[in-house]
Amino acid sequence: MTGAADTTSVTGSPGAGPLTRERPVPQPPAAEPLVVRDVTVRFGALAALADVSLRVEPGSVHALIGPNGAGKSTLFNVISGVYRVTSGRVLLGETVLTGQRPHRVTALGVGRAFQNLAGSPYESVLDNIMIGRHHLMRTGFLGAGLRVPAARREERLHRARAREIAEFLDLGARLHVPIGILPYGERKRVEVARALATEPRVLLLDEPVAGMNGVETAQMTAAIRAIRASLGITVLLVEHDMAMVMSLADRVTVLDFGRVVADGTPAEVSRDPAVIRAYLGTGDEGDAATGAAAVTLAADAAGGPGPAEAAGGPATGAAAAGQRADPDDEIAVSTRKEQP
Amino acid sequence: MSDTHSTSRARGFCAVRGAGGPRAALTARLPLVSLLVVLVVLVVLPLYLQEFWLRVGFSIFGAVIGAIGLTILVGTTGQLSLGHAFFLAVGAISYCWLASEPSDLGSRHLGGLGLPPLVAMVLAVLISGLAGLLFSPVSARLRGIYLGIASLGLVFVGQHVLNSATPVTGGFNGRRTPHFSLFGFAFDNDDSGFAVLGVPFGRFERLWYLGLVLVVLAAWFAYGVLRSRPGRALRAVRDGEIAAAVTGIDVTGYRARAFLVSSMYAGLAGVLYALSIGSVAPESFTVDVSIQYLAIILLGGLGSIGGAVAGSVFVIGLPLLLEQYSENLPFLSAPGSSGVTSAEAAKYAYGAAVILFVLFQPRGLAGIAYTLVSGRRAAALRRGSDPPPDGGGPPAGRGRAAADGAAFAGTGSVGPAGTVQADLPAGAASGG
Amino acid sequence: MTTFVSLLVNGISQGAVYALIALGFVIIFKASEVLNFAHGSMLFVGAYLTARLVGPVGFAAAAVIGVVGTALLAVLVERLLFSRVGRGTGLATQGQVAALTIMTLGLDIVIATDLTRRIGSRVLSLDQPWGTGAFSVGGVGLAYNRLIAMGTAAVLILAFFAAFRFTGWGVALRASAEDPEAAALMGIRHWHVSALAWLVAGGLAAVAAVFLTGSPTPGLEPSIRTVAFLAFPAAIIGGLDSTTGALAGGVIVGVAQSLVAGYADHLQFLGGDFGGAVPYVVMLVVLLARPAGLFGTRELARV
Repeated sequence: MTGAADTTSVTGSPGAGPLTRERPVPQPPAAEPLVVRDVTVRFGALAALADVSLRVEPGSVHALIGPNGAGKSTLFNVISGVYRVTSGRVLLGETVLTGQRPHRVTALGVGRAFQNLAGSPYESVLDNIMIGRHHLMRTGFLGAGLRVPAARREERLHRARAREIAEFLDLGARLHVPIGILPYGERKRVEVARALATEPRVLLLDEPVAGMNGVETAQMTAAIRAIRASLGITVLLVEHDMAMVMSLADRVTVLDFGRVVADGTPAEVSRDPAVIRAYLGTGDEGDAATGAAAVTLAADAAGGPGPAEAAGGPATGAAAAGQRADPDDEIAVSTRKEQP
Repeated sequence: MSDTHSTSRARGFCAVRGAGGPRAALTARLPLVSLLVVLVVLVVLPLYLQEFWLRVGFSIFGAVIGAIGLTILVGTTGQLSLGHAFFLAVGAISYCWLASEPSDLGSRHLGGLGLPPLVAMVLAVLISGLAGLLFSPVSARLRGIYLGIASLGLVFVGQHVLNSATPVTGGFNGRRTPHFSLFGFAFDNDDSGFAVLGVPFGRFERLWYLGLVLVVLAAWFAYGVLRSRPGRALRAVRDGEIAAAVTGIDVTGYRARAFLVSSMYAGLAGVLYALSIGSVAPESFTVDVSIQYLAIILLGGLGSIGGAVAGSVFVIGLPLLLEQYSENLPFLSAPGSSGVTSAEAAKYAYGAAVILFVLFQPRGLAGIAYTLVSGRRAAALRRGSDPPPDGGGPPAGRGRAAADGAAFAGTGSVGPAGTVQADLPAGAASGG
Repeated sequence: MTTFVSLLVNGISQGAVYALIALGFVIIFKASEVLNFAHGSMLFVGAYLTARLVGPVGFAAAAVIGVVGTALLAVLVERLLFSRVGRGTGLATQGQVAALTIMTLGLDIVIATDLTRRIGSRVLSLDQPWGTGAFSVGGVGLAYNRLIAMGTAAVLILAFFAAFRFTGWGVALRASAEDPEAAALMGIRHWHVSALAWLVAGGLAAVAAVFLTGSPTPGLEPSIRTVAFLAFPAAIIGGLDSTTGALAGGVIVGVAQSLVAGYADHLQFLGGDFGGAVPYVVMLVVLLARPAGLFGTRELARV
């Protein structure tokens, strides 16, 4: 999975050329920014999001972090069109996404990989990825039932594309395996493959490495890097694995209590006192308000996917274990939130 | 380490399919070959069967068509519907009304358009589809059990209409079904002496072939739908509406289409039912019929066409079979006496079967077939296992069950999610 | 005017009986998340037991045995069948819930077939001691059966609501319905809650059956099952997870049916016997305005 970065890009039509890591054909990346402008979402009296604004530059990896309940998933749901905004807008370039139904948002170029693994365990990997192709295909009930040639041709072409995407994510050998028997890491990759199959310009990744061990995390991280590099897709991801976020992201936005608390490069954000406060709380409030959230401070340059950390437990040793701590250094303590 | 382990395990499962050689080629072809054999047998059978069995067969063909429609709606798309009897009624009555000449029986005036039966059949199917479409605003707003109960309401409304709209439906007593004919060839006992290979072909021989052709076409069409784009979309709707919507599927549209397709199949099944009985009356389209169809698709396996066939054979065929041999079977007795009639015995049987299947084999007969064909894979899926990950991932069965349990409310409308799913996670079969 | 009041009162009394059935139905739903298709069969069992025993032991004893017997049967069903399917901890998945619902279908088929066979074409009388008389106040007529039905239903419903609010079981039921995991973690043994829920529902159904087979109905016929199918829309109208809603739904259905039947002459254009379909039409109207029923909770999902 750690192939050389290549710059093959993808277009919306099948048969535009295979995706391989070894094919360095330069292509322009996705050109339009995803802009969230003053989005407020109220559920009754509760403001899940309050005046949230952020801008995701095209072709970048942008991370959205924050304690539990900060509104990250809410924001994803807003962008996907699952939730309605009380006020504010989301735009992809010039196109307004807010107010559109979810499947329209997908057609406009926003793909999403879910945190909770939906899908029947009996469906094969290929079928799962093919669901992502749905909005790019046209075969209806009549065409499918009567097996008209156009339908068969379309199916063939899109299957080929799905296969390419599977290969890209190292799932090529698993195409016909029912996802129920796949290891967890591979199932998550199938999710990402499905989202990629929608040929998105922006890819929303909802905790892509949640619950993964070190090896699986490294694989997923490499995949995301490859997505950015080869496909030029903008990536917006929600994650709690700080080491991964800090090494991967170009920009980071921090949410707390539905508001943007900080926005900047990983380095800037990790030093921001407001961010530290959001995770730790001040002395008086404590972190009761943030529930069972992990305590996370980000390492500076000591980032990068750390050595295999035991997953699932609430607290692990310092990622900086093995490095000598200088009193002036910031200590990196990485913990991973337990899966619900 | 885990990667190679899981890789080799996954490869092992792939290997079941990928073993090379002529034996593998035969195994791959086996379903197709056996299907052809069955078809040949079915084509030839009328030369040997007596009228009773021909009638049984024709009834089963009709039921299969109806069951396919319902399994697409309930099994593949996960929409609970108790309204199947209503759409059967729409099909049956439409055919009768469209194909009959107006008549006056005493004080009863029965209307009719006197159309050619083939045209009437096609139109009846379309009208049923229209009825399904008209229900779609309801299906758009309701989910799960709420949708199920609303569809139940259709049956009662249908009963009311059947009993009241006498000029069309014949009211409480119903009306006769006009015989089917195709370009002048009547599907009825006529004196033409029409015979094939020395066997005289009367009404039920001819109807058999009509039913066989229709059921083969219906199954073929459904199979095509289910294994391509629309089928995938329907299954995605079943597995999680929000995830499906976000993946680009128009959920509301597909739910409506599922009802449309299902009601058209039901309409055709209703026409065949009318032809097999010779008349239609309100008592043929009660809630019990809806329940019977649900039992069929559950026993067969939700979302499976082969299952629709197997379930129909069992639920429809068994009572008729028992009836035929009731004298020989000691535990059966005639209607009116205090013992158990064949119809009741059959109901006990399939009622009990439903209970047992839900407890032990919720994927129905199709699930049993799947286990027989891909044993190891099926066993692994039943155990709900990821092969034990190295500390990563949620615990297999329970964890994913919790994830599956997340109820997606979808855009706007609500309801306690009780949608029916074709698959049951490991917890069910493993007994908790 | 008296016609209207008469119809209204009769409708309310019938509605009270429906409310008992709907209440049982909702209790089962809250405890087990299952749509109990076998509820009609439970009605049937209750009435049948009472009818068969009325001769030997007299009405009072027969009624008690009928109620207790049905309640026990309901618990038996719950224990034998549902405990196997992973309900032990109350953490069923969607697929399991659907499967259980279909299983109640199978149960309904078996029980209904059996009892229909036993009754045959007869109409069994439960010999209610208050007989077929009726009283009339200012032109408003009400059968004694209906009057007593109203009273009994009122008492039982009040008792239930008191239990619901004040007893441990009621709290446990509410907690379990709202958050099964948390409830389990708090030590609420789900199977207690569930078994008791079915017990209560069975008992309520049997009581309702006693009144349903009284005047002006000729007695117990297999068609009593279809009355349960009126409980479904009643429960839905009220909101499937709301016990208050079951009450409201039952009364609404009863009144609607009564009015439609009473004014049938004026409603000729709808055709004859619209009564069976009325509850569903009302239900559809309610659902279009409030998709979760009048008192049901709108469910939001975590995505």
